[in-house]
Amino acid sequence: MTGKIVKSTVLIVLLILALIFPMIAGPYPQSIMKTVFVYMALALAWDILLRSGQLSFGIAGFYGLGAYASVLAVTHLNLGGVSAVLFGGIFSALVALLLGLIILRLRAMYFAITTLALAEIFRVIIRNWKGFAGGPDGLILPSVVFDGAPVPSYLLVLGVVLIVIGASEFVEKGRFRFALTAIRNNEIVAKSRGVNVFTTLLKAFVLTSGLMGMAGAAFSQLYGFVTPENTFSADFTLLPLAMALLGGIYGTWGPVIGSLVLGIIAEYLKLFMPYGHLIVYGIIIILVILFMPRGFVGLIRDIDTRNRSGKGEDTKTSSSKEVPA
Amino acid sequence: MKKRLIITGGAVALVLLILLFLWKPTVVIYGVQRAGLYSAIAIPMGLVLGIVHIVNLAHGELMMVSAYLTYFLATKLGMDPLLALIPAAVVLFGFGILIYRLTISHTLKAPELNQLILTFGIAIVLVQAVNLIATSQPRKLSVDYVTASAKMGEVHFGIYDFVFVALAVAILLGLQWFLKKTKTGRAALAVGQNPKGAQLVGINVDRTYMLVFGIATALVGVVGGFFLTKQSLFPAVGGPFTMKSFALVAMAGIGNLPAIFFAALGLGVAEAFISSFQGYGGWAHIVFFALIIAVILIRSFRGGK
Repeated sequence: MTGKIVKSTVLIVLLILALIFPMIAGPYPQSIMKTVFVYMALALAWDILLRSGQLSFGIAGFYGLGAYASVLAVTHLNLGGVSAVLFGGIFSALVALLLGLIILRLRAMYFAITTLALAEIFRVIIRNWKGFAGGPDGLILPSVVFDGAPVPSYLLVLGVVLIVIGASEFVEKGRFRFALTAIRNNEIVAKSRGVNVFTTLLKAFVLTSGLMGMAGAAFSQLYGFVTPENTFSADFTLLPLAMALLGGIYGTWGPVIGSLVLGIIAEYLKLFMPYGHLIVYGIIIILVILFMPRGFVGLIRDIDTRNRSGKGEDTKTSSSKEVPA
Repeated sequence: MKKRLIITGGAVALVLLILLFLWKPTVVIYGVQRAGLYSAIAIPMGLVLGIVHIVNLAHGELMMVSAYLTYFLATKLGMDPLLALIPAAVVLFGFGILIYRLTISHTLKAPELNQLILTFGIAIVLVQAVNLIATSQPRKLSVDYVTASAKMGEVHFGIYDFVFVALAVAILLGLQWFLKKTKTGRAALAVGQNPKGAQLVGINVDRTYMLVFGIATALVGVVGGFFLTKQSLFPAVGGPFTMKSFALVAMAGIGNLPAIFFAALGLGVAEAFISSFQGYGGWAHIVFFALIIAVILIRSFRGGK
């Protein structure tokens, strides 16, 4: 009971901090936070599908698709900045729905590698589609969202993150979570228990991809341009993956913590190591998989259980079954 | 029934190939050459997938590392690249064993997800390490014998690229011999079919995995050396080959090494066909995706995996 109160107090304080952040911090920290929020949205969106045991390497693909869709929506449909962000998300979700009908017949490595190819596919299509999608030069928005005013654009990205966190918590707290976990643990058992595996996976895939598209759309509206090379860059797959892993997968707060920590480190890393700083994320991914597969959150939970049980004899039981307190 | 299907399928493919050859001879020639390169890279991946049951997402990147190694041996020591690839392959063998020992062997019992993410991380580290050491500036080695060409009727074409076909055939035959005739190879095959059973009859499973991984890495190392003689080199050059190799192995069916060559033939000719139309060359990069989707659909409707 007290745990719940403490948790909601912490959440409310964090939310207020996030809201008043642009008033207390200068433009540089604000722009860092905007980037961190975009990565946070991607990391968390990626985790939602991962809870079903399906690994998608298609983050950059759906991110870029949403970015392009929102820029095109502004230039061709005369949508405003905010509705263009939603449009980007919806467009990515629709593409995911169509693709998912085909590729969700695949499992494990087949699925993972097919999604790895997605960013490449989208990039090739856009690079060759000169008339509509701008070809290799990309597209430029006539003006960025809110004409570049820092506070509203900060709030826009924050809004996107809150939507993703809300979606993740909705999945986490509802019956849907049990379906996803059941599929992850044993698909055949899940099926025999009445879980419609294909529909569940399709829902999760569409949700994940739509949220990624929304993050991409927000980013493109903030910076006002998209190009095939930058927008479908592998960074947008690599960084969210490293962030979610470092924080801890299969839950809302792991990716959030991971992206905060790594996102802020990343900004400084860029200053010290302008070339090849991505190697650090690769190393983090390898080390986390080898030594800390459940990330920070898993680590914290282990310590927590150890303290509670006194001796810490059985730290493993808490890992997957309990809802995080 | 199945045999008849293969024979008719093969016959139809052959007729199509001959018709295509009469229409656009260069498409078939370049397609076969591409197929050689693709299958030379994909066969080692098929070996690892079939025996260790691990997707190595750093597969193409290892080829890239070997190509860089060969490049530096050739430029710094003045060796011929085809000679320099021998030490490079030996280094890659050791490197493969090191990677297996330090990382992959620890995730064998973990969910498949972990292995995928792990090798993805390794791929990133390799690309970025090369990026830091050698910068992303493209490098090309000019070797005079690669420009050899032949003339057939009206058509001129380069013949050096057939070396990839020879390389692929050599790798395939060598591996078949190793797996069928040598004691270690047979042990590896047994481990691939049933690791627990193999362990029961006294085969050292862990050592076999390590050896197979090392051999596969050394083989991509050799391919990397040949790759350098013809193509220009940059850190990200390996990535597409990882995906294409996997697509080919999946098309052929895991454990079926000779079929990889036929899958590669389909991919190579299809890519060359699309590249042969002016202005559509860029689309050739996604042919493999269309192919893999098609194969998956056909398989899933037939009720298989």
